[in-house]
Amino acid sequence: MNDSYIYVIAALLPLTSLMLVLQSNPYHALVVRGIVGAVAALVYAVLGAADVALTEALVGTMLAIMLYAVAVRSSLVMRLGVVAESEAVVKAEGDRDLQDILDHLRSIVAKRHLKLELVSYPNEKALQQALIAKEIHATCLKSEIESQPYQTTTRVRHLYDIFQQELTLPVTGLAYLSAED
Amino acid sequence: MINTLSYVCIGIGLFFWVWGTWPLVGDRSVLFKLHSLSVADTLGSMSIVVGLLLKIPREWPLLLLAIISLAIWNTVLGYVLAYCSSSKETP
Amino acid sequence: MNLILIIMLAILLIPLYEAWQDDNIWQKVLAFSSIASKTSIMILIVSILRDDWMIGVVGVIILSVGNAALMLLAHIIKRLNDL
Repeated sequence: MNDSYIYVIAALLPLTSLMLVLQSNPYHALVVRGIVGAVAALVYAVLGAADVALTEALVGTMLAIMLYAVAVRSSLVMRLGVVAESEAVVKAEGDRDLQDILDHLRSIVAKRHLKLELVSYPNEKALQQALIAKEIHATCLKSEIESQPYQTTTRVRHLYDIFQQELTLPVTGLAYLSAED
Repeated sequence: MINTLSYVCIGIGLFFWVWGTWPLVGDRSVLFKLHSLSVADTLGSMSIVVGLLLKIPREWPLLLLAIISLAIWNTVLGYVLAYCSSSKETP
Repeated sequence: MNLILIIMLAILLIPLYEAWQDDNIWQKVLAFSSIASKTSIMILIVSILRDDWMIGVVGVIILSVGNAALMLLAHIIKRLNDL
């Protein structure tokens, strides 16, 4: 085994692993994990372990990426409950205030690599129940105050801390609902 | 003679690889890069495999399978990637 | 043959660099597809170099299956962006 290329190929594995570790965005890390899988399969094949290379390609790259994708997709999302009619309003782009709030929320959570998912409920009562039942992370409701037409309520302490610093729109208030366990 | 021919094929394949991969580094759009990658890269890979086939004709079923899967999969993959990456702008 | 493999490694570094520096996820997927096909061709070359039929079979399987994984990944990422 005096093939000089083996050392170069083996050096690719720590290089790509370092790339994977240094990714901050989880979706980018998914793709880089695929690259690591391909390079690892190459290294294993060159070192003579054909069965390990095959397993790495099938399980390590394909299955692991699918499972990670499902995990990332289901955990890195903020579910915001709205009343059904206001969601229809958003679709029709009638209500500027709600549009602004949603865009602002989207940009805030995008900094943390989160996505905003709208969940619509038929009325305010169902919305409150869903918030207490931990189906959603936050609600955005119309309020009675004239200068502050919307009220955003969240039950997640960390989200509340983030919003308190960054949700600076005057059209919405912010409240924290401590969930009783 | 055949040995030289196989090296020529592999050399052409390597040239195509460089040609297809070089546009990746740059600020062009995804579709531009995908085009050069799918055309030049697939042709380069197929040329390399043909070179290998000339070198060792004994393993022809394996290498033929490699060529076929390269031709089919890379074409389909090009379409799928183009569809997935461009449908974002027109929902 | 060793020289060919070294040149291929040098070419392989181009998409690696691209995946490192670009922040658009589709550019990363492109680099991934390029790397996947290049590594499997390299596995084929190594199998010819060593005259080892077993590694060659693995190379061909990775060549066809790796692309299938890539398609699934592309569809999942598209769904994620649609949200």
